[in-house]
Amino acid sequence: MNKRARQPPSTTWFDRATMNFTNVRLILAREVRDQMRDRRTLFMIFVLPILLYPLLGTAYFQMVQFQTQNSMTVLVVGGGQLASTSTPLIEDSAFSPQLFFDGPRGTELLKLEMAPEGPPSGSDTASDWTAEANRLVQSKKFDAALVFPPDFANRLEAYRKAIHVAANRLPSPPAPLPKGEGSIVEIPRPKIIYTTANERSLMACNRLTAVLDRWTEDVGKTNLVAGGMPAQAVRPFEIDRSNLAGESASKSANIWSRMLPVMLLLWAMTGAFYPAVDLCAGEKERGTLETLLSSPAERSEIVLGKLLTIMAFSMVTSALNLVSVGLTGCLIFRQMQDFGGPPAWAVLWLSLALVPVSALFSALCLALASFARSTKEGQYYLMPLLMLSLPMAVLPMSPGVELNLGNSLIPISGLVLLLKTLLEGSYVQALQFLPVVLAVTMVACWLAIRWAVEQFNKESVIFRESERFAVGLWMRHLMRDRDPTPSAAEGLFCGIMILVLSFVFRSSVAPPAGFDGFARVTLVLQLAVILTPALIMAVILTSSPRQTLLLRLPRWKMIPAAAVLALAMHPFIIALNSLVMYLYPIAPEMKRLVDDLQTKFASADLGLLILCVAAVPAVCEELAFRGFILSGCRNLGNNWRAIIVSAILFGVAHGFLQQSINACVLGIVLGYLAVRSGSLLPGVVFHFLHNAMTVLIAKITPELMDRFPVLGFLVQPSGEGPVYQWPVYLFGGVTSLALLGWFTWFPAARSPEDVLQKVFEQSTEDSG
Amino acid sequence: MIEVQGLTKYYADLRRGRFVALDGLSFYALPGQVYGLLGPNGAGKTTALRILSTVLRPSNGTARVNGYDVVLEPSQVRRQIGFMSANTGIYDRMTAWEMVEYFGRLHGLPPAELTQRMESLFEKFKMNDIRDVLGAKMSTGMRQKVSIARAIVHDPPVLIFDEATAGLDVLVARALLHRVAELRQNGKCIIFSTHIMREAEKLCDRLAIVHRGKILAEGTLEELRQEHGENDLEEIFFQLISRYEQAGTPAAEHDLV
Repeated sequence: MNKRARQPPSTTWFDRATMNFTNVRLILAREVRDQMRDRRTLFMIFVLPILLYPLLGTAYFQMVQFQTQNSMTVLVVGGGQLASTSTPLIEDSAFSPQLFFDGPRGTELLKLEMAPEGPPSGSDTASDWTAEANRLVQSKKFDAALVFPPDFANRLEAYRKAIHVAANRLPSPPAPLPKGEGSIVEIPRPKIIYTTANERSLMACNRLTAVLDRWTEDVGKTNLVAGGMPAQAVRPFEIDRSNLAGESASKSANIWSRMLPVMLLLWAMTGAFYPAVDLCAGEKERGTLETLLSSPAERSEIVLGKLLTIMAFSMVTSALNLVSVGLTGCLIFRQMQDFGGPPAWAVLWLSLALVPVSALFSALCLALASFARSTKEGQYYLMPLLMLSLPMAVLPMSPGVELNLGNSLIPISGLVLLLKTLLEGSYVQALQFLPVVLAVTMVACWLAIRWAVEQFNKESVIFRESERFAVGLWMRHLMRDRDPTPSAAEGLFCGIMILVLSFVFRSSVAPPAGFDGFARVTLVLQLAVILTPALIMAVILTSSPRQTLLLRLPRWKMIPAAAVLALAMHPFIIALNSLVMYLYPIAPEMKRLVDDLQTKFASADLGLLILCVAAVPAVCEELAFRGFILSGCRNLGNNWRAIIVSAILFGVAHGFLQQSINACVLGIVLGYLAVRSGSLLPGVVFHFLHNAMTVLIAKITPELMDRFPVLGFLVQPSGEGPVYQWPVYLFGGVTSLALLGWFTWFPAARSPEDVLQKVFEQSTEDSG
Repeated sequence: MIEVQGLTKYYADLRRGRFVALDGLSFYALPGQVYGLLGPNGAGKTTALRILSTVLRPSNGTARVNGYDVVLEPSQVRRQIGFMSANTGIYDRMTAWEMVEYFGRLHGLPPAELTQRMESLFEKFKMNDIRDVLGAKMSTGMRQKVSIARAIVHDPPVLIFDEATAGLDVLVARALLHRVAELRQNGKCIIFSTHIMREAEKLCDRLAIVHRGKILAEGTLEELRQEHGENDLEEIFFQLISRYEQAGTPAAEHDLV
């Protein structure tokens, strides 16, 4: 059979020439009508947003009212003696209204009860009142307690008189100074007793602290006046503030600009998710998909019809939620002080952003939902999608995060930040990064739509059938039906386990003090956390650990080739590192840690340093990531997919983001070497030399360059340490490309997965 | 008409290699004939019919429907066929009328012609009283009627019925068989898969007994009876399957290529 002649017409991408838009419109109309007849969808999309925010707003408003109107009671111990002080704290058995910013209303909200004079019942001494107050606050009889030491009032008064005497140079009267702690400056401190375990107690403490602060200030003023000084001496001048945007408008804009973009994203996703599950997984479950696929509608038309439906619902859900929250903001929050509805121009920016956001999430949800066998399975995918998208939407809202080139390159975060910047009114900054954000969002949309179409064209996805799962059967299957190499799930599980273990290990071990400590921590991390799980899993879960871990010799030429490639690529990896650091500047704390590490390296013995930083990681990480994990990932059915997945896991296993991006790129090269050579050895050589070069280049000092001028041809000193000369980049670039090309051309030994993959490719071609 | 030559389908199972669902199936069906695919569950009947309706692609071999190749001209093939699956493929939230109209329009029928044809179909199948009933509220019999109406609304020359009587009570199944016989009289080429012998005996002009993706016997009922010296189709079926299993084609060897 002529395979070329029997290629089926393309169904993998939207073809405008052959696409029948009448069919797309028909499918769109049917799906929309279908969803509009589903009560759950209607509730989620129309009813919930209309009711949710007014209800939430009302509830919040009620709660605030309830909280502010709720009065608290404070037990005051030893308050009786304060009557003799010149500045009143307590008047008519209540805190003085002048001490509250809201006057008599404050007095109503913070009530007090005076403890009786003398010791508490069941005790002999008055000092037992502290213990009794503790007990009373703990048992919630009082929200807080204020305990004045027994001779507090006397000492305070004596202090004031002493100031008066000193200021007027009067002959010293025989002042009845209290006995005890000697100096009159030593006034015993009153104590507030409260508990953070109780919200009311904490609020009572805060109010009481504010009252006492004002009182202390008043006492200070009285003392100054007594000493012949003006009361204003405490606070010689006040500071005026002038907010050009207006206090209320600025506060509102700030809050809304943080809240609305996140809401837009979350609801665009939720609005897309439920219809997507019903339209794909639901249709599979009800058996209607097969009928539709046998109709004249092409798959691309079906996908487009469904995508547009999902997008429409996503946009309507998001828009309704935003309108509802905006109106609620205007109507309810306006009653709150300094808070208004969202700014009017927000509507424009949000409406514009709604289209790409909905398109992105609709395509993602469509692809996920077409993968699900049933609506129930589809629902399970919501949480992972939410957990992945939420941080990308919420993290940019952290204080201090601004729109810049690095942030605009992150798919969802860039868009959120752009919206936030627009809502804040910083148009110049927003315009500057608009093209980048738009380009990134469009690429993400395109990838998501492609993924969705690809899912719909896969027979294995469209006709996935339910499988029965039982733990016992599964365990037996794992042990009995072992294959020479691990399954994709086992490979991924190993990767995730290594990530979790390294996180736990890094968090539980204190940063080592010297290089010896660093060496110990590194060795334990490499051997126990990275290598051991991979080895154990290779032995238990596979029938050929040797084949899994690629423990065979490659063609000999590959080893020197890998070595030269490592040296040739090193300048580019360093340059990439600088670019990453420029785009995503390292946090100051992390920078301190890195600098600290460099200092440790500088003082370390070179042999030991290379062992810890280059040799051990080269062996352990290669066995784990290019051995077990990559072998497992190759069962994903595509070598490049396997290389990229294992490289991402390798990247994430490195401490922080900037290092991860670099490691991920290295992981792709290492994975490529492993796949092409069928052996772990070239990767180990590459990894070792790359790490060793990083250590060695840091050791090149200006003094060393003076001693060995030849080094000047390779590197030049800079503020951040030595950097490569440009001819090195040129030569390295040419050599790297040549070697990578050579690896492609080289007839590498095929693994069983490759052979199987060829069979599948053959079968697909046959089918065409 | 339908011509199938050496049709093979294997599913890719990355862990175990290839699972063969169809193994060189060849047969032809003519207009005005009901061609029966008879076989136990998992024999490969549904896979074969899904390939004929272009829902699946064959791994090897060719299939032509009314002269169009299922791989090269899938769009034309889909215009030639009416497909009815075991689960009827009825949308829960669409009325009978909307459902038939939807598929009629997907087949590109002009609105006036479509309405006229639907009126006559609804009249003929006595479906006027369920015109506005939603799929979710329909009984199994109603679903079958709507499903047939949907499959033939565009008057296709070829009809594919995949286990169409599965799970039906005797009355509904009988009515359905009666309709299939009527369609045959109208000159349609019909493929009818089933595992119920009596239906096959009553309805099919030609038969293929399929097991493990292979045709074990093929011909008219009379030819099969003469060839096996047995009058009862069920007995012929049983003999063929037993002989095949005893011939030492263990499942594992067959499935894993």
